[in-house]
Amino acid sequence: MNVYATEYKEDYGKAVELIDVEAGYKDIPVLKNVNLSVDLGRKIAIMGRSGTGKTTLLKVIAGLLKPWRGEVKIFDEDIYLNGRRLDGKIAYIPQNIGLIGGETVLYNVLMAKASRKPVNFLTGIWDKEDIRRAKEILDSVGLGDKILERVDRLSGGEGQRVAIARAMFQEAGVILADEPVSNLDFDTAEKILEILTKLSEEGVSIIAIMHDRHLAVKYFDEIYVMEDGSLVRRA
Amino acid sequence: MRILTISTAISIAIAASLGLLTPNVWIQAAKNLATFSTYLGIDTSLVYEATIVAWETLVMSVFGVSVGTILSYILSPLATPVISSTPISMPIRTLANSIRAIPAIFWAIFFVILVGPGPKAGALALAVYTTGYLTKFFYETLESSDIELVNSLRVMGLKGILLASALYTNMRKQVISNIFFMLEYNIRSAAILGFVGAGGVGYYILQYISLLDYVAVTTYILITILFVIAIDMISYGIRSRI
Repeated sequence: MNVYATEYKEDYGKAVELIDVEAGYKDIPVLKNVNLSVDLGRKIAIMGRSGTGKTTLLKVIAGLLKPWRGEVKIFDEDIYLNGRRLDGKIAYIPQNIGLIGGETVLYNVLMAKASRKPVNFLTGIWDKEDIRRAKEILDSVGLGDKILERVDRLSGGEGQRVAIARAMFQEAGVILADEPVSNLDFDTAEKILEILTKLSEEGVSIIAIMHDRHLAVKYFDEIYVMEDGSLVRRA
Repeated sequence: MRILTISTAISIAIAASLGLLTPNVWIQAAKNLATFSTYLGIDTSLVYEATIVAWETLVMSVFGVSVGTILSYILSPLATPVISSTPISMPIRTLANSIRAIPAIFWAIFFVILVGPGPKAGALALAVYTTGYLTKFFYETLESSDIELVNSLRVMGLKGILLASALYTNMRKQVISNIFFMLEYNIRSAAILGFVGAGGVGYYILQYISLLDYVAVTTYILITILFVIAIDMISYGIRSRI
């Protein structure tokens, strides 16, 4: 169970809140006056043509790109206020999934606690409880029989599930996924989205870039379209 | 193809300026080689002694690589702007460049002065020299990491040595390849370090050269080459399993 979704649920108003955010690269503006409010356990799909700023939006929320102006609040805390803080409340799954190649599924999941348990990570010696929990999570995403498989030998859908399992083990309150189902067949894409839906029911907020309108309508609570750097909500 | 054309043009131009395109040079070289080859051979009575000395050289090299790997593993993240910051990374890079700029044999002289002649000095010289090289190899490896992977790890809260450790793991084939390259390099370097009294096979080669005993010299060099080939085979075996 997720700490942000359970223990602190009543303490946090919003999981993610963007207020009048403007951001870009060097002097090229990409996001223009973006406002977004995401409640705990909500699933938000971001759609739009290529180059409109969808990935930039995720990077700003993830704490990777400081906005020129505006506020980015994660669980009511402005993450850019006193220097950038990346403390594991968010999990970011990039387009290429971002797993450690050549390593096992279990390693990739356990490493989500590297910042909280640095000695365990550097020595590779983990507590029994951590391993048990990681296996439990992998079971829940249907990878219980592949824990010792190398991630570079997995299919695209399995790799995506490892990334989600890692976010679950990290106990992230917000999952940002950049095109999580773009390269998957329809059935596999649905399985991934069903796992994300189950997570959102536990209180985890999901913000995902989607291209398939049908899947977005079926699985997400709200759909926003990025148009020329601005975020427009669609019914 | 353009690189090949440019390299060919440069090679021909410099060879001409050095007089290497004159046929008489090569005719004389062939005659000299024929004369010199009569001095070469293998002295089987020296094989055991040469193997022991080559083993000592290998031990010095392994020490240099293991200490160099530890220091580089820590220094390289500091030298990588994506993990560290420019005010920290620039001095570390300058330090690594400075270490590399001084040939291993000068480091050997330095350590012979500090700790006296023998394998101790050679091992320390190789440790410092390896640190200079591996730091550069490792920070280049870290810098070539996929930026999206770096981003997802940073969002997870990884930074400093933790982030570097994850990236090293992701690029471990290259990291291990670099370590074995330095091991081979150190064995070749260690063969020379003995010239200044820093232990290893070089000391014996120098003695036999001064006695004009080229058969003994050839024996020592051949055993050293066999060690390098063995290291290369072990390296290939390990890398192919990763």
